Amino acid sequence: MARLFEPLIGIACALAAWEIAARVAGNATLVPSPATVWNALVAMRGSELPRDIAASIVHLVVGYVAGAALGLVLALVAGSSKWFAAVIDPFAEFLRPISPIAWIPLAILMFGVGGGVPVFLIFYAALFPIFVGTLDGIRRVDPTLVNAGRALGASRATLALRVIFPATLPSIFAGARLSLGVAWMALVAGEIVGGDAGIGWRILWYQEFFQMDRVLAAILIVGALGLAADTLLQALQRRVLRWLPASEGTR
Amino acid sequence: MSGSEVGRGARVLLPLAVALVLCAVWEVAVRMTHSHGLLPSPTGVVESGAILTSSGVIVEAMSGSLKRVLIGFAIGGALGIPTGLAIGTVPALDRAFRPVLDGLRSIAPIAWIPMAILWLGVRGDAALFVVAYAAVFPFIVNASLAARLVDRRLIAAARALGAGPWTVVRTVLLPGSIPMLFTGARIALAFAWASIIAAELAIGIKIAGQGRSVAGIGQLMVETLYVRRDVDALVFYMLVIGAVSFLIDAGLRRLQRWMLPWSDR
Amino acid sequence: MNPIVELKHVGKVYVSARDGEAIEALANIDFTIRRGEFLTVVGPSGCGKSTLLSLIAGFNAPTSGDVLFQGHPITAPGPERGVMFQDYALFPWRTVAGNIEFGPQARGVDAAHTRERVRKLIEMVGLRGFEHRYPHELSGGMRQRCALARMLANDPTMWLMDEPLAAVDLQTRIILQDELLRMWGDGIGTAGDRPTVVFVTHGIDEAVLLADRVLVLGRRPGRIKEVVDVALPRPRTALRNGPEVARLTAQVWELIHDEAVQAINEEAPL
Repeated sequence: MARLFEPLIGIACALAAWEIAARVAGNATLVPSPATVWNALVAMRGSELPRDIAASIVHLVVGYVAGAALGLVLALVAGSSKWFAAVIDPFAEFLRPISPIAWIPLAILMFGVGGGVPVFLIFYAALFPIFVGTLDGIRRVDPTLVNAGRALGASRATLALRVIFPATLPSIFAGARLSLGVAWMALVAGEIVGGDAGIGWRILWYQEFFQMDRVLAAILIVGALGLAADTLLQALQRRVLRWLPASEGTR
Repeated sequence: MSGSEVGRGARVLLPLAVALVLCAVWEVAVRMTHSHGLLPSPTGVVESGAILTSSGVIVEAMSGSLKRVLIGFAIGGALGIPTGLAIGTVPALDRAFRPVLDGLRSIAPIAWIPMAILWLGVRGDAALFVVAYAAVFPFIVNASLAARLVDRRLIAAARALGAGPWTVVRTVLLPGSIPMLFTGARIALAFAWASIIAAELAIGIKIAGQGRSVAGIGQLMVETLYVRRDVDALVFYMLVIGAVSFLIDAGLRRLQRWMLPWSDR
Repeated sequence: MNPIVELKHVGKVYVSARDGEAIEALANIDFTIRRGEFLTVVGPSGCGKSTLLSLIAGFNAPTSGDVLFQGHPITAPGPERGVMFQDYALFPWRTVAGNIEFGPQARGVDAAHTRERVRKLIEMVGLRGFEHRYPHELSGGMRQRCALARMLANDPTMWLMDEPLAAVDLQTRIILQDELLRMWGDGIGTAGDRPTVVFVTHGIDEAVLLADRVLVLGRRPGRIKEVVDVALPRPRTALRNGPEVARLTAQVWELIHDEAVQAINEEAPL
């Protein structure tokens, strides 16, 4: 019972601190109080919030799936061809330090202000960790398992699909968890700086009209969505990797 | 798996050759469509880069950004390390505040820009807030992990020898946590660097065209995009940003290896 | 004599990854394995017994000489030469049933036949009730039985086993030895009906108990020291602690003894 209690105390403390800050500031625009933010949330829920959330989710899913898919394919090719790997590894190393954020102006140039910018950024943010993680996983597949598969009569295709791929899944998930965090930041940044839809963009919109209570409400929504996305991925990981011994994989 | 090993020489030459070919194709394509200046091209990037470096523009902007990264990083550490250590040593605190911290951590730092601008104005400080916010959480996470990993017995031994709580922190907790703190610092710096660019971009968007002096590289990039329309410069900035990222992380890793030769990562 | 595997002047040289040194794992191996026999391979550490097995399995190719299976050179692994590995090599992401059905699935056997075969094998190795467990939930003995069933699912002509009972405790090992003999057809039918077994082991008593012939290898380089015929009657279970087994064990140990001591005193193997 106490287990449930303590987090609630923490949350209560946080809310109390917030309320105090609001009262001290005295200005509802400067520091919206919890109550006003709540009202704002309710108002938003009835109007544009679902659409904004939907737009952001679409940006995230499209960009992430595309980036992950390309990352997986490239890693598979690099895993089976040493020549390809030798060529592509340095390029990956070269591009890796350039954070997706740095691409924003160029993305605006390429796609214009709009949905293309966040989608591209997320695509880029997902690509590298998944490529690197998958390639690393492929390289670390236990060769005995591969030999076992061969001795059981598996063709090359079967080996790739039914031995190497499942063996690589833990690394793929590690890359996915990592890239999701970066992708989320890229989403918000892309929408704020160069987007025309989605919850990030909406934050700027509210700010134009000085609706700071809505701004804060939207900020909290951003956090909630990010948390939800990671939780979902974690749950998926637990399900898919349920064959791992308890010590590995699920953190 | 293809049978042959790729020789060391080939490993360097091959990507270099491919890169050169790609650059050449890119250059030719841009020239043939007469888009030099409209689209970035390798020669254009080099030209712009030379001009910008010699005129000091980029150095000025970069130092502005880096200054704020370092300050934000320091603030993040100053706030994050004690918080993390506290949470790591007192399980009740961890259980109570973990959900709140996880929630706050999930908020992309850049999302705070409007509030930050409101509270701190449009000059660099709003960006500083975003950077500090981004830097604080890796420190909290790693510090709490580090504290939890510090051997309880060492703490018990210290207390049995009469050490007061502050002494225990100073002589047992802190030294034992340093490797993990270093890792946290590297992550925090990477986040901070990405966040400053994002924040400066966002601020830049707000003040583009107002003729204010440029405070950091993000604002410089926005100005270049919307006002000066120098596409080659944009690519050059990206490369510089990447180079700085790389150098910062490489530098920290070297520092870690030097200071803590026993630690792995 | 009905040969199933012929090793003609086989040699295998490895280049050590650590220092680039050439290591002669096997040299001058001339040997013929008879169809239906139970052959065990023993020798001190570093004598190349696992290398020999992997050549027959088709995981590696010899540096010199030929390895023939039923008259044809071995170029790749195949389901007719089933393998059991030292650490089971079960696919951790598949259940017990999933592991066992891998072979038939990979070869395109239809689902109904596969299911039936899997059911029979699970019954035969005594894993009923554990079909849907994952390898990490099983004990060592259970994993071994699962690995055996997986190999048997393809009804292979040869059983290539690399120290399959090394990782289980002594009691389990005895039980598994008996099960293995039973499944192989110990004392039943003629040599033509049975699969050919190549069983690599460190345990000399085990080697003598199970085998028709014991191939004794020496080290540095790996070569054939002697082939010991075990002309004891089958089934063998009853003879486990008897005088004949003891005598032969001592005989084989005599052949290996000095090199075994040498092996212990040297650095770790490759």
